[in-house]
Amino acid sequence: LLTFLSSPVIVVHCSAWAIPDDMAKASVDGVKSTATAGFLAMKRGGSALDAVELSVRALEDNPTFDADHGAVLNTNGEVELDSIIMDGRTLAAGAVSSVKTISNPVSLARAVMEKTDHIMLTDRGANMFAESVGIPAVPTNTLVTECERTEREKAKNYAVEVKEGHDTVGAVAVDCSGNVACATSTGGIRNKMVGSGGYADNLSWAVSCTCHGESILKVTLARLFHVEQGKRAPEAVEVSLRYMGDRVRGGGAILVSRTGEWAAKFTTERMAWAAVEREVLWYGLNPKEEFKETLRQ
Amino acid sequence: MLPVLVVHGGVGIIPKERVQLSCAGVQAAVRGVYSKLQGQGSAMDAVVEAVTLLWNDPHFSAGLGSVLNAMGEVEMDAIVMDGRYLASGAVSAVRKVANPVQLARLVMDKTSHLCLTGEGASQFARSMGVPEVPEESLITEYARMRWKKNLAADANPVECQMGKMGTVGAVAVDAEGNIACATSTGGLLNKMEGRVGDTACIGCGGYADNRVGAVSPTGEGEAIMKVTLARLILFHMEQGRSVEAAADEALAYMKDRVGGLGGVVVVDPQGEWSVRFSSLQMAWAAAQQQTLHYGLYTGEHFTKNIDNPY
Repeated sequence: LLTFLSSPVIVVHCSAWAIPDDMAKASVDGVKSTATAGFLAMKRGGSALDAVELSVRALEDNPTFDADHGAVLNTNGEVELDSIIMDGRTLAAGAVSSVKTISNPVSLARAVMEKTDHIMLTDRGANMFAESVGIPAVPTNTLVTECERTEREKAKNYAVEVKEGHDTVGAVAVDCSGNVACATSTGGIRNKMVGSGGYADNLSWAVSCTCHGESILKVTLARLFHVEQGKRAPEAVEVSLRYMGDRVRGGGAILVSRTGEWAAKFTTERMAWAAVEREVLWYGLNPKEEFKETLRQ
Repeated sequence: MLPVLVVHGGVGIIPKERVQLSCAGVQAAVRGVYSKLQGQGSAMDAVVEAVTLLWNDPHFSAGLGSVLNAMGEVEMDAIVMDGRYLASGAVSAVRKVANPVQLARLVMDKTSHLCLTGEGASQFARSMGVPEVPEESLITEYARMRWKKNLAADANPVECQMGKMGTVGAVAVDAEGNIACATSTGGLLNKMEGRVGDTACIGCGGYADNRVGAVSPTGEGEAIMKVTLARLILFHMEQGRSVEAAADEALAYMKDRVGGLGGVVVVDPQGEWSVRFSSLQMAWAAAQQQTLHYGLYTGEHFTKNIDNPY
């Protein structure tokens, strides 16, 4: 199944939620620069898998997004991260859940995919594997921003969930060979299960989802798109998000197909997203926004 | 046509000397639980109880007799799903609990989360008063022997595992038309510490939706995850395929696309059900009205009156 595209396509997001105005610009700038970097990597011959990994790494490293640096703390005061990466060509996937003290869980997920016979490692076993492949542990302090520490102090009186779904970042891409890939990373509520937080299949789409993790899991959001194969990309996303909204609650998703069709949709108040296709950078924040500019390299 | 209960004791090759006991095990689990379903019991209670009975039965390599991970420990995954509200609970890589499926149900009923893992799952178990059991109590000599054998560099644990079952599961639709599934496993022989397979992953190791049906799979976990097998079967059913055709198509796809073998039990809201597997064997049993159905090898489908103890 070989498709050759004249242009690779990448779409990235940093969470679907009611992004406050004082974070809006940083969020949009962050996704724009990340999408640009991912696109250029594919233009230089990189694969979709490389592009989604480097994009999610960049988003993980950006403290504006809680995904990693800035992650929410659990009740023990620790940072627990989840991540998934999937290769649409072979359906190979790698995922980690509840890893602590790892700077870039998406790269650890990729190592699980490429260096083990498994798909998913969790908790202590995931951390042990990281050590065995030379991925260094970093102190929790470097992963927790002052902002988050203060928020946590304030929220101590509330129940386990300190925040909801605004700490997920993700990317989907299709390279010039027509291979699709996805990657999603989060510091919070579990959203990394295959078929929920992300799914990639050359026969259909690559998808990365965001918002309330439990809701996404209940409808296995990323896998819903399988059913919508006959539809155009934007319609497929809308139908699936509407289904999720009917059954549980709102969310957001980005999607790309092996023919280069893409979409970024959400039923939450906002979602910062950006896409690059044929030297054009698209981006938005509020519902129905779709700004474009020429790619600056 | 309602209620219906279908259970499996995992795919794999059962040594001849164990065949009788494994078949007896699935039948006993179904018989033990079906009468409660007929007495207005819920599908969720039924699947949890059935899986608990199978888990406690030493003839299935689940619970006592579970396979060991690379470190010689028992790490377990389990999931339950309630088709009414798409509620679900799962635990992954949990150690030292007697019945992970019951812990999974507590995750669903007592937390706002869907999945807890590792040490966090153990902490939760303690907070719920679930007793910790010594690891030794879950390990048999047989399991330890297979673990040692598969530490060798040229061992093929996946293939070795297909020679023994390690996952048990159930699906049910109750008299009110509510649908549920439950699956529980000790995982993959000599897996890496922390390895989570399909069982704890919603859509892979189980899925239940009152509008469509429920599936509990077993087989090569990584392959099941790559195709999100449970959800895939239900997609086919949503598009009009029968419970058999949906399962067959998905299992064939899994074999073609990612080279994995497995088996499933499936039920729909009308009480239609199926048992399909691409492996050579899967011990299974089902109850509907007065009939007990059961089988082991491909193509087998025996029936008898449910009250017949033989």
